[in-house]
Amino acid sequence: MQVFDLGSTGQVAGLITAREAGLVACQRCGQVHHAATSHCKRCEAPLQSRDTDSLQRVWAWLIAGMIAYIPANIYPMLLTSTVVERSESTIIGGVIELIEYGSVGIAIIVFVASVLIPVGKFVAIAYLAISIQRGSRRDPHARHKAYEVVEFIGRWSMIDVFVVAILAALVQLGTIATINPGIAAVSFALSVIFTMLSAQSFDPRMIWDKNRANG
Amino acid sequence: MSDQGPTGPARLDVRPVKQPIWRRLSLVWLVPVIALVASLYTAWLSYRDLGTLITISFENAAGVKAGETQVRYRDVTVGEVEDVEFTHGLNDVLVYVRIKKNIAPYLDDDAQFWVVRPDVSVRGITGLDTVLSGVYIQGNWDTQADVAQYDFVGLETPALTLASQRGVRVTLRAADGSALSAGAPVLHKGIQVGYLETPQLSANGSEVQVDAFIESPYDRRITTNTRFWDTSGFSVRFGTGGVSLDVNSLASLIEGGVAFDTIVSGGGPVRDGHIFSIFDEEEAARDSLFADPDAETLQMAVLFEQSVSGLAQGSEVRFQGIRIGEVSDLNAIVVGEGDSAEVRLQAVLSIEPSRLGMGADASPEAALALLSDFVARGLRARMVTGNILSGSLQVELVQVDDALPAIVTLTSGEYPVIPTTDSQISDVAATAEGLLSRVNDLPVEELLNGAIDMMDSIEALANDESTRAAPASLVALLDEARELVAGDDTQAIPGDLRTVIADLNAIITEAGEENIVGNLSSTITNTNEVAANIAAATEDLPAIIDQIEALTAKANALALDDLVNNASETLAAIDQLVSSEDAAALPGTLNGALDEMRGFLAEVREGGAIENVNAALAAANDAAQAIEQSVETLPALSTRASQLVAETRAVIDGYGERSRFNAETLQTLRDIQEAADAVSALARAIQRNPNSILTGR
Repeated sequence: MQVFDLGSTGQVAGLITAREAGLVACQRCGQVHHAATSHCKRCEAPLQSRDTDSLQRVWAWLIAGMIAYIPANIYPMLLTSTVVERSESTIIGGVIELIEYGSVGIAIIVFVASVLIPVGKFVAIAYLAISIQRGSRRDPHARHKAYEVVEFIGRWSMIDVFVVAILAALVQLGTIATINPGIAAVSFALSVIFTMLSAQSFDPRMIWDKNRANG
Repeated sequence: MSDQGPTGPARLDVRPVKQPIWRRLSLVWLVPVIALVASLYTAWLSYRDLGTLITISFENAAGVKAGETQVRYRDVTVGEVEDVEFTHGLNDVLVYVRIKKNIAPYLDDDAQFWVVRPDVSVRGITGLDTVLSGVYIQGNWDTQADVAQYDFVGLETPALTLASQRGVRVTLRAADGSALSAGAPVLHKGIQVGYLETPQLSANGSEVQVDAFIESPYDRRITTNTRFWDTSGFSVRFGTGGVSLDVNSLASLIEGGVAFDTIVSGGGPVRDGHIFSIFDEEEAARDSLFADPDAETLQMAVLFEQSVSGLAQGSEVRFQGIRIGEVSDLNAIVVGEGDSAEVRLQAVLSIEPSRLGMGADASPEAALALLSDFVARGLRARMVTGNILSGSLQVELVQVDDALPAIVTLTSGEYPVIPTTDSQISDVAATAEGLLSRVNDLPVEELLNGAIDMMDSIEALANDESTRAAPASLVALLDEARELVAGDDTQAIPGDLRTVIADLNAIITEAGEENIVGNLSSTITNTNEVAANIAAATEDLPAIIDQIEALTAKANALALDDLVNNASETLAAIDQLVSSEDAAALPGTLNGALDEMRGFLAEVREGGAIENVNAALAAANDAAQAIEQSVETLPALSTRASQLVAETRAVIDGYGERSRFNAETLQTLRDIQEAADAVSALARAIQRNPNSILTGR
């Protein structure tokens, strides 16, 4: 096994990509085909050496996700009504309340899952897309790593939605106490879904193309 | 594949045709577009429904929370508090409220807001639901959309009348507002038909004005003839009609309140803002119905020389017992000038001409003319006691027949003066004092002492053994007496008695004829002489004694001892007999015997003996008269008898003190004396307490 020093540019002399070798790999099952093949012989998935619409879809889903994220923060996430009072809490409001009640740990979890991760994803995906559009050559390895992190961690944002769904299902005690999901819960779920779709639409192979093209 | 061989075909430069941008656009772009549109639409909806922001300033906004507290109108939520903050200077609390857009136009200058909190009052508990749900802001405005406003001042206490309530709002005037409080009930025939709003001083501060809201349909009961009166608390009137206690509902007891009634018909309908007066009492209110309170009254004065204490403003003025007005003023004025000046107490009478029977539209002048005429014929004013307990007085106009001639004068200047006559004031205090002093003077202690003594005597008597023993003996004696009376011999007495009476009659007649009494008198005189002779003879006694001693010696020899012993025994027996209880009980028995005798005499009367008896009694009467005459000589007789006894005693003494006979005789006499005393004591005891015979005590 030869070990290459990829260096900061990721360029390795004498190393060619599959595309340069006239090959295309199935994105789903990994089977390598000839470049002209249109469908995977094994799993019949469509084969594409580069997804030319990738960035479009990334941006589209990303923007949709961001739009959905706005009401998710404005509108209440939980509608809690008890005999004594009726309260609505937004994401940030809930975090502040938790801190006021002294549950700093839970507040941090909620904040990370509901704010930090989604916003981080927006930033990360946008950065990746912009870097490809601008033909950035900066550290493709790091960018690839970032992409993988984004894809892996994205689904955990749904933890908020699950909590709301479970609470809403459990606490239905009529007039005594009722918890209902607010508009924000739906918006937030949509936002997470759109963001995940955005991340999935991204073709990480393009991270490397620029370096190859000019190398 | 970049290093293909040169032998191969020339590399084909394959480049995709630049497609127009709309062909290259992915369908995925629809997603953000839809999201954007949906978001914008939602935002627009939110904006559209955002509502109008108004501000309400409260002094106290306790419990109002931003984002939670609702604004309700007729129990429907129409807005929500958005923010709560202080005004500049921290004087008030500013509450920002989002009101629904379709409601906002109705919030004109009549809109009221107040914070609903739990409230416990005598009328009940309200706002209890806010204990759990938190306070809310109640809005109240009418259904007329006017010029919309955005800044309001909240009420500190709930508005009593909701704009949606139908009824009439009248203004009430009262001299004193102490009985009026916001929310106090307005009663009609005892049920609450409305309530008072917050009382306020009138502009010049002379009276209190309060709006009263009377709910529909009771507002139809209010006409221009309606009278309102104060029902606050309870009223105790201590007037000339006695004590009168009025207690209304508990709420009005604590909060006060007014009541109204419309007794006479014919009043016109009232509109909002009609002004009524509040009378102090129901009676006054009702009285005012029959006499126009604004009608002119005749003002007259009465000058009293004595104290008018007890007379007060409002005291009644009565004419032959009928109320015709009241005392409107009391003051002192100076009458006359110089040395003849003196202070009189002037009572100003306010007389209602209509009550003089002159018709409703009688003028004061006509009433004055009428009263002047009456005064010329003897009408006078005086003070009389209205209520003897409270000492209140009233002025009475009475007809005095023998009044000195007088006319209505104008001497006091301002008012025509009615001449006075003597007042009739019963001072309950003075009367009561006299009564008490009399009670005080009663010899209660002496009476009690006498009573105690009597009780002691009775007790002593009752405890006496002889008293207790008396009844038994008496009963036995009575039995014997009854037996005696029932005996055949006794029954035969009447016949014998008749003959005896006849004989007696004859004897008495004879005695009357033969002057027996005189003989008796002479006999006694003779006896006296004999006694004197004896005394004289006794002078020779020493010689005789010697003889007697000799004789006695002989007598001693003649078994005289036995004789004396026998005599002694006899005397003892007599003594026993006399001192026996039976003998002591004799008087009571005699009483019984007398009763029997009375019955016996009744039988005798029936037996036809009565005429004889009458005759006998007449004879007895004669005899009694004779005896009476002779009794007149009795003192002398007595003296002589006394002498005789003394002489006899001397004679007996002569027999020697040591003589046994003598001792026995004296003893006997003493016993007889004792027996007589015992009988006498018993007789006295029975006389003091006849009941003791029956009760045994």
